[in-house]
Amino acid sequence: MLIKTLATWACVSLCMLTFSQTNYTLKGYVLNTNNVPVSGALLASKQLSTTSLSDGSFILSGFKNGSYEVTITHKNYKEQHVNVRFNGASTSITVALDAANTELETVTLYSKSEEREAHESPISTVKVSEDFMNLNRENSLMQTLSKIPGVSTINIGSGQSKPLIRGLGFNRVSVVQNGVKHEAQQWGNDHGLEIDQYGIEQIRIIKGAASLLYGSDAIAGVIDIEAPKIPMENTLSGAVNLLAENNNDLFGISAGLQERKANWYYRTRLTYRDYGDYKVPTDRISYESYIFELHENHLRNTAGREANAAFSLGYVGTNFKTETFFSNVNAKNGFFANAHGLEVRTSTIDYDSNDRDIDLPYHKVNHFKIVNNTTVYQGAHTLNFELGFQNNHREEHSEPVPHGYMPKPDDSQERVFYKNTWSFNARDAFKPNEKHQLVFGLNTEYQNNNIGGWGFLIPEYNRFTIGAFAFDHFDISEKLHFQGGLRYDFGVVKTKSHFDKFQSTVNNADGSTSYIYLQRALNKTLNFNSLSGSVGLSYVTPKTTYKINLGKSFRIPLANELASDGVNYHMYRFERGNLDLDPEKSYQLDMDVDFVSKKFDFGVSPFINWFENFIYLNPTSNYYETLQIYEYTQSKVFRLGGELRLGYHLLKHLRLDGSLEYVYSRQTTGPKKHFTIPFSPPLSGIISANYQFNKNLFFFKNPQFSANFRLTANQDDIVPPEEKTEGYNVLNLSFNSGFKLLNAKKLAQFRFKLNNVFNTQYFNHTSFYRLIDVPEAGRNLSVSLTIPF
Amino acid sequence: MLQHSFNMTKLIKQLSIVFIFALIVSCSGDDSADKDETKPTISINYNNGFPQACAELVRGETYNFRAMVTDNAELAAYSLDIHHNFDHHTHDDQEALCDLNPVKSAMNPMIYMENFSIEAGLTSYEINIQVTIPNDIDTGDYHCAYSATDKTGWQARTSIDIKIVE
Repeated sequence: MLIKTLATWACVSLCMLTFSQTNYTLKGYVLNTNNVPVSGALLASKQLSTTSLSDGSFILSGFKNGSYEVTITHKNYKEQHVNVRFNGASTSITVALDAANTELETVTLYSKSEEREAHESPISTVKVSEDFMNLNRENSLMQTLSKIPGVSTINIGSGQSKPLIRGLGFNRVSVVQNGVKHEAQQWGNDHGLEIDQYGIEQIRIIKGAASLLYGSDAIAGVIDIEAPKIPMENTLSGAVNLLAENNNDLFGISAGLQERKANWYYRTRLTYRDYGDYKVPTDRISYESYIFELHENHLRNTAGREANAAFSLGYVGTNFKTETFFSNVNAKNGFFANAHGLEVRTSTIDYDSNDRDIDLPYHKVNHFKIVNNTTVYQGAHTLNFELGFQNNHREEHSEPVPHGYMPKPDDSQERVFYKNTWSFNARDAFKPNEKHQLVFGLNTEYQNNNIGGWGFLIPEYNRFTIGAFAFDHFDISEKLHFQGGLRYDFGVVKTKSHFDKFQSTVNNADGSTSYIYLQRALNKTLNFNSLSGSVGLSYVTPKTTYKINLGKSFRIPLANELASDGVNYHMYRFERGNLDLDPEKSYQLDMDVDFVSKKFDFGVSPFINWFENFIYLNPTSNYYETLQIYEYTQSKVFRLGGELRLGYHLLKHLRLDGSLEYVYSRQTTGPKKHFTIPFSPPLSGIISANYQFNKNLFFFKNPQFSANFRLTANQDDIVPPEEKTEGYNVLNLSFNSGFKLLNAKKLAQFRFKLNNVFNTQYFNHTSFYRLIDVPEAGRNLSVSLTIPF
Repeated sequence: MLQHSFNMTKLIKQLSIVFIFALIVSCSGDDSADKDETKPTISINYNNGFPQACAELVRGETYNFRAMVTDNAELAAYSLDIHHNFDHHTHDDQEALCDLNPVKSAMNPMIYMENFSIEAGLTSYEINIQVTIPNDIDTGDYHCAYSATDKTGWQARTSIDIKIVE
């Protein structure tokens, strides 16, 4: 039913596209001479006018054929006039404004804007601006991004999440921050992403094969958190964000400050968030034949806190710029106390006396990062260097209990991971002539992983990878662009042996019994190499952009996939690695059509994907010490799907948006032939309406109302040991507005948001707690305030 | 130029129709018919099912642990795990609530962990494992867990609180 409704709705909306367009649109960007976007610039031509947004973008509609003079004014910049001619099509421009205090120098920059480059690249990307982040901010970065079609999350309670792109996650999505790949224990389904979601200006999301540029793991896509724009000369600015929520009694504060003199600049940020147990719209949870009564709807012991600090120091020279980022993310989160993994637990801990404390079981993580980005402009060459060091320290604690032959451990320290990662990337972008842009690059990375605690899941290992790539962006014509390249990678993984600290009883073939310290991992050195690449075309017209791209991506198997041989007691399974695994190879064909006009915008991005050897943890029908054996196995997998998005200005101030996402996956060989792959997101869509007042309401400046309704179909396509998940509909409402506070020039932003308006009880198929039948969070009211200065 | 943009629109429409069509086909054309999506079941709720919740087992005695397993397609293996619950770390999934002894430390607890396979082709099978409770093990609260798998890799589990007494 849902599918039909959505499809009908999509078709009806599509039919509206046949209305002819006689009005043309001028789109583009307003930047200053340092290429920093200028917001609030007034663009006017005859009776038409608009204001540039915070990313510098603007859309001015209503032009007919002919010549127009567009005047661009901003209080901090020199007025500028640009002549634009419309001849049967819309057009776009990039305007560079000179600071008002400098000498008059009327320059109109016609170099390719970032926007234009994104259009011309055959790899389809979604840009997420700081505005989007502020408007849609949820409890964690990935929850905020999950509004983007094709992006979903694995939530671990209310404050932690990890990314899924078109149903693939873990080490099949690369998360890159300031040019360096974020390296933690991504393989764990209860390990959230250790990145502060404040202070991010722009994220580029690539859905599709991206190994060519990003190396191993960028199979499903990339979440690329870009370095913030360099502040303008002689400026000091900052902002404080305040957030309060009633579902988990969260309060959060984040304050950022940045200053630039002539060449030197710094940025700094502090974030603190503290939240209690979250509430679900039920007072009991039924998991198999167990029933957990909840105290006042609280999911006991899911409280958490997070404290982050970041500082960076940068220098802009005449032909180079450099910035060094230091950041530390520290978080501690409780796990639901009634079941640890799948294991039902009872405890003498009085969880219900306080809904803010974090008792056992819990995990804590500290992620420290130093990254340097340096760019050197050398004639036709632009050289980029990225150097990074990361330390990830994760601890998982639970009440010690005996399991199997393991006697009761002495402490709560179940698992400790201590991982250091060094990265170095170098890239040369070279423009030999007007038509070509060549890029050569080198990526190297060294990982050193150490373990501790009484539970064993993955071995200690060292891993070194090196990869080199080259690609060419060729402007065949103004409209048609080609991009293609090749990459070669080599990697070495050295796993270290590991023995149990306790003796197990082993029945020998001759009837005798031995008591031995079992070996859980081997000393092994494994080499991998892979050739990857991509070719694609894009065709850019003023209103429509077409893209097609074929890419081959790869992923080096993880140490746990190769060498684990241990009992995961809480999941009631014995996990066995496979030293013969090959690097995963994935071929993907991506297409993208994007259409923008005055009233409508529309996009469709289908994909077809073929894995030669998809690695997954297959539940076998055999047992080891009464636990089901799960083996890392490779099989061929076929996937297809895509996203559809539509926007329509129904009235001048009322905009309707719709999006749809779907993925179909099938294993075509192996023990789970005909089954899907784990964590397949269901068909889902969002319908939203947005009303923008262009006048003031009381003291609110340009307030905006929005409602979004998420429709999610049943997920009946599962693979053992998953459960089918029923579909659901959830309504979220929000109101946001600017208003004057402290600073008359920079408006403070106020946001009021009501999630799950009807307190609907529903299950998210890809949530960590789905396995034990824990529903998603109930109604949540959040109020946030951003005060710039 | 007008002709051009008309074609674009048409192309977008065609592309979207193909996309939606592919979507509907892939949703409805499910091949669930040849997939086993049913877990096996495991039960002690019949006359010979043993042990029942809160049962007391005597040291030195021999018991037949019996449970019925079924599956829609084909059973594969089963296991029996008996471990102590002296620290009350968990509880069973049977409806009865048993009185537990006070929390205590384990000295020489009974640990029984055995796996068995089921001959091919069966859709129902009665587990029947003879276990002698050793004379020298700690008495007190124990937990008895059965699990069974089918050929596809689905698993069923059930657990029962029991006591081992003198």
